[in-house]
Amino acid sequence: MIRRYAALIRNAWLVDLQYRASIVLWLLWGVTEPAIALGIWWAIAGDGSVGGYARADFARYFFAVMLINQLTIAWDSWYLDRWIREGDLNYRLARPLDPAHEAVAENIAYKARTASVILVVWLLVAAAWPAVRLPFAPGRWAVTLLAVLLAAAMRFFISFTTGLLAFWTTRATAIMELHAGVSLFLAGRIAPLALLPPAVAGVAGVLWFRSMLAFPVDLLTGAVHGTDAIVRGLAAQLFWLGVWIVAYRIAWSRGIRKYGAVGG
Amino acid sequence: MPSIVTAERLSKTFQVKVRDPGLRGALRALFQPRYRDVHAVRDVTFRIDPGEIVAFLGPNGAGKTTTLKMLAGLLYPTSGRVEAAGFNPWTGGPPFKRRIALVLGNRQQLVWDLPPEETFLLNRAIYDVPEGDYRERLAELVALLELADVLQKPVRQLSLGERMKCELVASLLHRPPLLFLDEPTLGLDVTAQEAIRRFLIEYRERHGATVLLTSHYMQDVTALASRVLMINRGRLLYDGALEVLVARIARTKRIELVLGGGDGNRVTPEALASFGEVKSFRFPNAVLEVRREDAPATSARLLAALPVADLSIEDPPIEEVIRLAFARGVEEDE
Repeated sequence: MIRRYAALIRNAWLVDLQYRASIVLWLLWGVTEPAIALGIWWAIAGDGSVGGYARADFARYFFAVMLINQLTIAWDSWYLDRWIREGDLNYRLARPLDPAHEAVAENIAYKARTASVILVVWLLVAAAWPAVRLPFAPGRWAVTLLAVLLAAAMRFFISFTTGLLAFWTTRATAIMELHAGVSLFLAGRIAPLALLPPAVAGVAGVLWFRSMLAFPVDLLTGAVHGTDAIVRGLAAQLFWLGVWIVAYRIAWSRGIRKYGAVGG
Repeated sequence: MPSIVTAERLSKTFQVKVRDPGLRGALRALFQPRYRDVHAVRDVTFRIDPGEIVAFLGPNGAGKTTTLKMLAGLLYPTSGRVEAAGFNPWTGGPPFKRRIALVLGNRQQLVWDLPPEETFLLNRAIYDVPEGDYRERLAELVALLELADVLQKPVRQLSLGERMKCELVASLLHRPPLLFLDEPTLGLDVTAQEAIRRFLIEYRERHGATVLLTSHYMQDVTALASRVLMINRGRLLYDGALEVLVARIARTKRIELVLGGGDGNRVTPEALASFGEVKSFRFPNAVLEVRREDAPATSARLLAALPVADLSIEDPPIEEVIRLAFARGVEEDE
């Protein structure tokens, strides 16, 4: 299986190299959203603070969002939707490799590429601007890495499963868009959850949205601390990962029987 | 010898949403969707022996491709039983998939932006083909398909024919004993079609693979298939040799004449018409159509009565036979 992953990742990177311009565009997209959010909060915070967040806290928060969002984001619903509706799933089903493995390999290739560039950007900015530097805390970084892996796995299964809805509806990507829109607020992409109205933040915590992004970001910046809070956060991530894996398995086994194998 | 493919009472029914035209229809479909059952394949039964080349014949939407996809494990049958390469395609998993190849004429697995060799390397990893076998097989396939010049070019720069040849290479590197080819010559020019046919014949001779194919080109069928399965509206109309089908359907034969004789005693169309229906006449060539059973006797009379330089008896063109078969049904002549 390692050889297969190596071959899939190699091909993904080879294709990327053909489209250097698109890499830059994706990167800009990944940077722009948190940069705009940071700009707004920067202006609002002024010389004081909002909900305990001063300018430097916002800067660290959104740099962490920038990096961790790129490490955990999954585009699979778009691919799945196309594979299913246009029949590109056909030859994938005839190969002795579950299409999910191909998708995971693509994700690893994509994340390694974009996140490494963003990490370099962060290091360069941090060299000039102390506000975005993180305290040296290897233990915290290790826990963050675990939380990022869990979040990436969960977001992968969310995206893949939503894409599988294309077996039943032509609007699968619209559902994913809706989910992305909701997660803009509930996952902490445009504001730390601590700044949301308590009811909204509560919903984010009860559902999977906090586990997607806000929790690992807060871990990295130090907003979540104390063994208790960390264990509870990781447990929530594990729980929701499990839920989405079950959802994926059900959607896949039912959907594949319903598949119309479009086209020749 | 056990069969390599068995289909027993195989059926596939799709549910298709129906809606009336216009805005009102769209609204009604939104709130009160109606579905119609489309019976793509009905109660189809056949067996295929190892080493056979079998062609599915039928108009668009007849159920050929649906049948093929059920055999390859892409589509879940509504009812009936399938066994292919020793497995139920739905439960066979990777061991089953290593024993088949699926080539789709209008869907490609080649990575569009990379040279075909990158897809071959990917498939080597996916199918766990050992390095030595990979090189040997690639060399053989590249030689048979004359692909040496295109391996390094990005797929998007290849011609349709080159792409299909590369699809075949990608699909055969794991040397599967069972090949499913859906319209493998679709859209190709005559030379490329010819090359693909020659390759398939050669490949089967060398490796004894079983080939199931669908095609709209009768030349594919006549050149490749020892047996045809004729499908129309989801039902299997005929299963057997192509020649037997032709004999059953074509009630006529064509007598092709090259006439002799000088300008003085030229044979007239009227004179020919007394022997059978004149399909074409352009001195010295003429084509007559006669009833199948009359062909030998009429030929003898022609030879005796007219200055004939050459004479041959042919079946009507295969396309015409197939058209007739679908129009009338196969059983009529039995």
